[in-house]
Amino acid sequence: MKILIDIVESLKIAWSAIIANKARGVLTTLGIIIGIVAVTTTMTAFNGMQAAFRQGAAAIGADVIYVSRMPWIVMNDFFLFRNRPNLDLAEAQALERAFERRAIVNPSMHNRQDLRFQARTLEGVDIIGTTEKMPSTSDRMPAIGRFIMEFDVRYKKNIVIIGSEIAADLFGEIDPLNKEINIGRYRYRVAGVMEVQGGQTFGGPNFDRQVFIPISTFVKNFGGRRNSDVDIAVKAPTIAGIEDLEYEVIGEMRKIRKLRPSEPDNFSINKLDSLLGAFNSVVGAVLGIGLLVTSISLFVGGIGVMNIMFVSVTERTREIGIRKAIGAKPRSILMQFLFESAAICLIGGLIGITIAAGLSVAINASGLIPASISPGIAVTSIVVAIVVGVFSGLVPAWKGAKLDPIEALRYE
Amino acid sequence: MNNRASDRSILTIRDVVKTYQMGETYVHALRGVSLDIRSNEYVAIMGPSGSGKSTLMNIIGCLDVPTSGTYSLDGQMVAEKSESELAEIRNRMIGFVFQTFNLIPRADIFHNVELPLIYGGVPRQERRRRTERAIEQVGLADRMKHRPNELSGGQRQRVAIARALVFNPSIVLADEPTGNLDSKTGDEIMRMFDELHSSGQTIILVTHEDHVAQHALRTIRLRDGQIESDVRNGDVQAA
Repeated sequence: MKILIDIVESLKIAWSAIIANKARGVLTTLGIIIGIVAVTTTMTAFNGMQAAFRQGAAAIGADVIYVSRMPWIVMNDFFLFRNRPNLDLAEAQALERAFERRAIVNPSMHNRQDLRFQARTLEGVDIIGTTEKMPSTSDRMPAIGRFIMEFDVRYKKNIVIIGSEIAADLFGEIDPLNKEINIGRYRYRVAGVMEVQGGQTFGGPNFDRQVFIPISTFVKNFGGRRNSDVDIAVKAPTIAGIEDLEYEVIGEMRKIRKLRPSEPDNFSINKLDSLLGAFNSVVGAVLGIGLLVTSISLFVGGIGVMNIMFVSVTERTREIGIRKAIGAKPRSILMQFLFESAAICLIGGLIGITIAAGLSVAINASGLIPASISPGIAVTSIVVAIVVGVFSGLVPAWKGAKLDPIEALRYE
Repeated sequence: MNNRASDRSILTIRDVVKTYQMGETYVHALRGVSLDIRSNEYVAIMGPSGSGKSTLMNIIGCLDVPTSGTYSLDGQMVAEKSESELAEIRNRMIGFVFQTFNLIPRADIFHNVELPLIYGGVPRQERRRRTERAIEQVGLADRMKHRPNELSGGQRQRVAIARALVFNPSIVLADEPTGNLDSKTGDEIMRMFDELHSSGQTIILVTHEDHVAQHALRTIRLRDGQIESDVRNGDVQAA
């Protein structure tokens, strides 16, 4: 009860002190506002990038693991993987047999080829040879027309399903369905157009610029067994089963490749998680540096608050003396000034968040990254502002709390 | 009317010495003062400047502690208390009235008077009741929402008296309470102290003015840090 009364009184004093010195308060708060805007915007941008990445990576599927020759993210030990053998279709088929009726196994192969429709050419388009099972292992479906079917694969049909951006670039207003296009030297009939996936994500593939053809046709036209590398997607029956599945896939792959126990895996297991992990560690480092730099402005703001609190304590020396004479304990005086500096910073923080929210709307509108201020960020920023306030107020408040009442009463 | 002082000693000072160090030299502000004040006494402490009366007032008011000697206020040994405990004693037992009023300029009258109760942790409802009563007691009920700078000097000093009384202190300690007032207003304030005394309040005045000291029933004169004389002047009061 007593402490509560103390707190209420401290809040009242803080408020009236701030009201009494508006111009000074505004200037002091400015430092905190700028600091909070900087910190909040940094966190918001990070959140936005992460959200964009997640959205873009959703096509990969969280319940799918990919067996490939190389890891998706190769940091600095490329030479370790360089001499690995390619995965070939026979190995993919062996894996498929091993997981028959337990999991969906879908092989795919990649290549880059030029696309041509009448006079228009797109260079170096990502060509993916795959099977009818691909829509099951990723969330991607055709928006119009159809996807590859089993008989397309069996009869090595020259059909193609194109990504949404490819459709727009190559055909414009023309309906692409059943049009003939050239992929490299070969003619294909457009059987479908994929749904929009969300475009380019930081360094990752642009899923809207891919085209899909039956894997058998791919091998016939572009493959050659030797230089083409197969990626195998394995979809867990449930998302919870993905870890067990990963171990089983590793076991089966080692069996297929007849690796001795002493030999390391000569293939890689990739999944959304590892991609997210790599993304987070890179962007996290950027965020860390960003926060460090922006924290400096907050620190400078805090020094401004500390300065003004020293002025405030000195100005009110006599008031402190009066309060002490009639029974204020050092603790009460300490609290009074801590609340004042915390309140200054809290106000600065709230204004800062408001400005940052406006900025993030502007960033969103610019289309650069989808920034959005989250409740978590807002709460963090407010807490940071209050902490800065408390720390800035600590030394001045302590000075006030320790004043000798007799001296303070005599102060003119 | 002037014999209501009980036998109970509310304040006991024994051999109090106060020495300040100023650079290399020591200033002996009090050189062994012993003093008893009983409940409902009306005492004036007098002396020229440098006599140690301010130091004695600070010690009685628990704003300072003696270098040696003992001081007990209402049974509490003040010399051994921490800063927080001293604050609590000042809060509960002492009502200060200063020469310069010492009101908080930004707060209204109500809040100024309420302040000791806030620091004493009194719940809101009771605070309001007691504050209003104290303000009514000094005749400023219609000024509660005013700021100190909207009041005359006499009114401000009455606010200070209300603040001193609001927590029912053991003693009211007034330091030159009429020093900043014209003589007519000063007389009004002194009459207020007289009334307080007759209603049972213990009052200690610190002053260098004889006509102020004459209101008290006992006059203690200090000189060079020692008590020079300690006389009862009840007859003067009656006149």
